Amino acid sequence: MLARPGLPDFEYIRAETPQDVFRLLGEKGDKIKLLMGGTDLFIQMRDRSEGAEILLDVKYLPGMQEINFNKKKGLTVGAAVTLNQLSIHPDVKTHYGILSQSADTVGNYQLRNRATLGGNLCNASPSADLAPAALVYEGTVCLTGPDGNRELGVDEFMIGPGKTALKAGEFLTGLHFSIPPPDAVGQYLKLGRSKKGDLAIVGVAVLGYSDSEVPSGFRFRIGLNSTAPTPYRVPQAEELLAQNQITEEILNQAADEAMKVSAPIEDVRATALYQKKMVRNLTFKSLKEVWDLLKKS
Amino acid sequence: MAIHAISLIVNGTKEQVQVPSNMTLIHTLREKLGYTGTKNGCEAGECGACTVLVDGEPVNSCLVLAVEMDSKEITTIEGLADSGQLTPLQEAFAELNAVQCGYCTPGMLMAATALLSRNPYPSEGDIVEALVGNLCRCTGYQRIIDAVQKASRNGGAR
Amino acid sequence: MKISESGLIGKSVPRTDVIDKVTGCAVFVDDIQFGPSLLHSRLVRSPYPHALIKRISTKKAEELPGVRAVVTGKDLTARLGLYLIDRPIFASDRVRYYGEPVAGVVANTEDIAVEAAKLVKIDYEVLPAIYDPVESTQPDAPLLHPDLGSYTVANFIFPEPGTNISEHFKIRKGDVESSWSNCAALAEGRFSLPPIEHVPLETHTSIALSEKSGQMTLWASSQSPFAMRDMIAQCLGIPHNKLRVIAPLVGGGFGGKAGVTMEACAVVMAQAVEGRPVKLRLTREEEFVGTSVRQSLVSEIKVGCDKDGNLLAMELTYYFGGGAYNDYGVNIARAAGYSCTGPYDVPNVKADSLCVYTNHPVGSAMRGFGMPEIHWGLEQIMDQLAENIGMDPAEFRLKNCVRTDDEIVTGMKMTPIDLEACIDKVSKAIDWEKKEQPTAPNKKRGKGIAIMWKAPAMPPNPGSAAVVRFNEDATVNVEVGGQELGQGSFTIAAQIAAETLGVPYNSVTVSSPLDTKYSPYEWQTVASRLTWSMGNAVKAAAEDARTQILETVADHWGEEVDDLTIKDGLVISFKSEREQPLDKMVIYGLPNEDFEGWKGGPVIGRGHFMPTYVTNLDPETGQGTRAVVHYTVGAQAVDLEVDLETGQLEVLNIASAYDVGRAINPDLIMTQIEGGAVHGMSSAFEALKFNESGEVLNPSFVDYRIANIADIPRKIHGDYVETPIGDGPWGARGVGEHVMVQTAPAIANALYDAVGIRFSDLPLSADKIYLALERKNETG
Ligand SMILES: Cc1cc2nc3c(=O)[nH]c(=O)nc-3n(C[C@H](O)[C@H](O)[C@H](O)COP(=O)(O)OP(=O)(O)OC[C@H]3O[C@@H](n4cnc5c(N)ncnc54)[C@H](O)[C@@H]3O)c2cc1C
Ligand code: FES
Ligand code: FES
Repeated sequence: MLARPGLPDFEYIRAETPQDVFRLLGEKGDKIKLLMGGTDLFIQMRDRSEGAEILLDVKYLPGMQEINFNKKKGLTVGAAVTLNQLSIHPDVKTHYGILSQSADTVGNYQLRNRATLGGNLCNASPSADLAPAALVYEGTVCLTGPDGNRELGVDEFMIGPGKTALKAGEFLTGLHFSIPPPDAVGQYLKLGRSKKGDLAIVGVAVLGYSDSEVPSGFRFRIGLNSTAPTPYRVPQAEELLAQNQITEEILNQAADEAMKVSAPIEDVRATALYQKKMVRNLTFKSLKEVWDLLKKS
Repeated sequence: MAIHAISLIVNGTKEQVQVPSNMTLIHTLREKLGYTGTKNGCEAGECGACTVLVDGEPVNSCLVLAVEMDSKEITTIEGLADSGQLTPLQEAFAELNAVQCGYCTPGMLMAATALLSRNPYPSEGDIVEALVGNLCRCTGYQRIIDAVQKASRNGGAR
Repeated sequence: MKISESGLIGKSVPRTDVIDKVTGCAVFVDDIQFGPSLLHSRLVRSPYPHALIKRISTKKAEELPGVRAVVTGKDLTARLGLYLIDRPIFASDRVRYYGEPVAGVVANTEDIAVEAAKLVKIDYEVLPAIYDPVESTQPDAPLLHPDLGSYTVANFIFPEPGTNISEHFKIRKGDVESSWSNCAALAEGRFSLPPIEHVPLETHTSIALSEKSGQMTLWASSQSPFAMRDMIAQCLGIPHNKLRVIAPLVGGGFGGKAGVTMEACAVVMAQAVEGRPVKLRLTREEEFVGTSVRQSLVSEIKVGCDKDGNLLAMELTYYFGGGAYNDYGVNIARAAGYSCTGPYDVPNVKADSLCVYTNHPVGSAMRGFGMPEIHWGLEQIMDQLAENIGMDPAEFRLKNCVRTDDEIVTGMKMTPIDLEACIDKVSKAIDWEKKEQPTAPNKKRGKGIAIMWKAPAMPPNPGSAAVVRFNEDATVNVEVGGQELGQGSFTIAAQIAAETLGVPYNSVTVSSPLDTKYSPYEWQTVASRLTWSMGNAVKAAAEDARTQILETVADHWGEEVDDLTIKDGLVISFKSEREQPLDKMVIYGLPNEDFEGWKGGPVIGRGHFMPTYVTNLDPETGQGTRAVVHYTVGAQAVDLEVDLETGQLEVLNIASAYDVGRAINPDLIMTQIEGGAVHGMSSAFEALKFNESGEVLNPSFVDYRIANIADIPRKIHGDYVETPIGDGPWGARGVGEHVMVQTAPAIANALYDAVGIRFSDLPLSADKIYLALERKNETG
């Protein structure tokens, strides 16, 4: 019923090649847990007092800790890049500021030296702080398995609390983000019970940019976490903002849409009602601030 | 459960040690190598009492497997003072009474040492950011912030 | 700041323990090395808040390779307790809270102990549970302790067998009923607060070793090694001299390591594996679930004043939710009873302070011992009354606050204090009169003030003893039984000894760890009583040693003791101006002038202190000559703002001032005041949360949030006043607990000032504040 002291039993194996992983996963399947930073995995193993036959460390596989940026192709981040590495990377800061900003809100500095971007998404917690940013940059996850590689939208990857679209034998190798629109601006607002160091009660990432194709002349992408079984976008609100001239009233309506779409549960961190209201208030605040930035530029 | 033989450098001394797969760094330091200055406050990455430096960067030693630390350089609280000479940070903590029960202190000092090495002149905001993961129930933190600032003026981490 | 003649009293000398603590050398229980003989243990805890134990099967666990013993409460009939002996070491017939220990497993490794604990099978019959202390007093409430009438109880505690009421303290003073009609304004309210945890950074840890000779040694993270020895020895029938409790430095206590928590479990487990030390270390999760808590409280308060704002009458009922066992909690209800009015001068008082069994964790001492609980309501109701009569809250308090020599609620004459000065200081520090602008348009700002009092809550006659031992080189070892929890008690002991002896501060060492085999007696490190009580004992011991030295030297020189003194480690004569260094003579004595024989010998001073003047109170009226030794008082003012979009509250400034009698070490007082303000602020947001089946929902730092470095006020202002008392060293009294007593209500008062809403129930979550703001906006 309570977390145990120390970690339960397992064998540690460091994978040197993807083939090692495929082979072991093929042989032992669900008796294996994949390890990167372990900051989710270890906590869960203590909580459930549940060991594993093998902890297969995949973070030293080639490319897993690399960040590559190319002005045409965009950004590729290895699954095992730590949140601190992600946050300080100059290209990430310049072109994907919300990723960098979101990374800085996770737990604390020591933790972020271990916690990885890939782990954050693979853990598929509704409150994953990197998810809203990954959603608004419309990132894709790169998966590899015995049958080859495939890519999926981040929005298709997390399918429920703790559940991903990974198939048996597959694992995450990295994320890819194409180049955002040239004048895109955005931010991640996170509300916790403490100013810093807490999980999100609500987190909202907003990315805004100009688009002459739509009546309002602007597009906004809104990504939220913690208030539904998975992190989510709010297409209804995004559409509203594309189709109507942007006014405070419209921003408010968009925020109301987000609140409508949200589906928080009552939990020890906050009441469902409060979470809903915070979806509205934070979405409005963030839209407004991003709109102000857009107007300036 | 397999046992792994690893070697690591703790506070400049090479150590060889046998660790089971599921043993975290904190238990290895405390129970296998006798570095009991590193404290266990939660075993869940939340309190920072177990903070040590791995190749100069702070981590929660309760969330790191010892087997992963083969050939790494570890610095613990015992490795800060050099033959009786306190670091400016240790001195500032002592002078300003930024210490009460002392249980959070080793972790605090390690996290702050790392901060001053990567950022010798941190703002108050930088200090807060760097120490959010270090809980203290006694001091109310203000003196800890003051001590880091004082140490920064007096020569930083070293 | 006044500094004594030799410069040590009133001086902020460095802490004795600080170098050890910044270098990682400080030793806590978990750091002691026992080598390969050490065995490990785990407790099996109840998954229900209230149930009968039908059957315990330990066979499977015992059969697991590496298991050394499995113990249960089957053969342990005796109970534990300080004031009311009601708590079993292991529950054997009934469990009364979620997390209560039912069995213990000893094994070669912790991993094996974890697995074995899973194999202990316990069948329960679940009973209805009760959590609300008011409901628990009702006749139809499930009865938690049918045997209450047979429990041993201290003669000043009054349980009501056949009910869940474990203590009922009464005040009947003046005539409350007929006073209401004379009141020009009234205020009434009901306030509540949930159980909260102490949350020391060091979790409870102990190691016990039982030897064939009958000797039992217990290493424990303890604020009270002597009380621990006494309780466990009595319960298990071990002679006190055969039970040795060793207590190294404590990594935070706050009351949670007073008395006995799980240490007796370690002792019983050690008895089962004679000759091998057994370690029991609580995880953080267990620390949240399975250790004592600050009790919950529901308070009902009615208070009235005349047209000039003079308090006339007060009627109070306190329902303390004491949890499953009230062995300690009963004395909290009693303390809350005899201090029920708060620091106010009220002529007519009717009060009932109850401690009530509930199916929550065991309620016990926590920093403030009942005072934060009662001040939560008291300090808000005073604001309401001030508003009703049209007075400023600070002015109202200045008018009504207790003063030296006032007859207070128990009929006792108030000991010397200056609360008005404290109120003035914090009003100034916070710029009370000035309405501040919020820092952003979406915020509202407000200020609040609150005052407090607290007496050391303890039996009438708790004692302290000290020994001062000289070494050959004239350095000094001071031995005490009071613990260093971070509050600086060893530093104070060293300062007092050095000052009294006339030796340099850095020549004094205070012996640690505490060890009941060698350390002189100390009742407990609680009640903010060490500077005062242990301080008196150390002073007496040092005076004793000093007298021995002076007599030897006077004899040697043929002079009078009165003409000699010790300064900077030299005995000097005012008369002859002769000098005698202390080294060597404090051990070897001095030769006679004619070298025929010697005088003196090893100098060991001993001293003790015990208050002898506290009297009993009438059980029906709560009246008596001297309810307590003295009171410490203080004031706090808070400046804060609320984010209207999120309900989040940010404390910008906390200003505190306390009357400490005499500041022995001013900087240590400031560290208490600052740390206490943040602890007090944090407590306003803390709650142990339970689901309907009594399970703790937030047993981790993630969900039980304590203030982190980003949460602290932008400004923490501390100050003190010195109104000496007669029975403290140089007039000093304690201040360790007081510093968080009224922080939460000061915040609530400031919140009311900011947004016009009264929050009478803790915690003050952003969730609650935001939804209340919305409701207020909707209803206009
Ligand atoms: C004290 C504390 C505070 C925290 N605060 C936050 C916070 O504020 N915000 C937040 O979002 N999170 C927080 N977390 C959670 C956690 O740190 C993050 O989710 C982190 O990014 C996880 O990364 P990791 O590398 O540690 O993952 P791991 O624990 O290594 O792995 C996570 C999960 O993914 C699986 N996995 C690992 N690698 C792969 C792979 N390559 N392919 C497929 N599956 C894989 C693992 O088996 C596991 O189930 C906190 C955790 C702690 C302990
Ligand atoms: S013990 Fe590692 S963070 Fe608390
Ligand atoms: S000094 Fe006690 S926890 Fe920080």
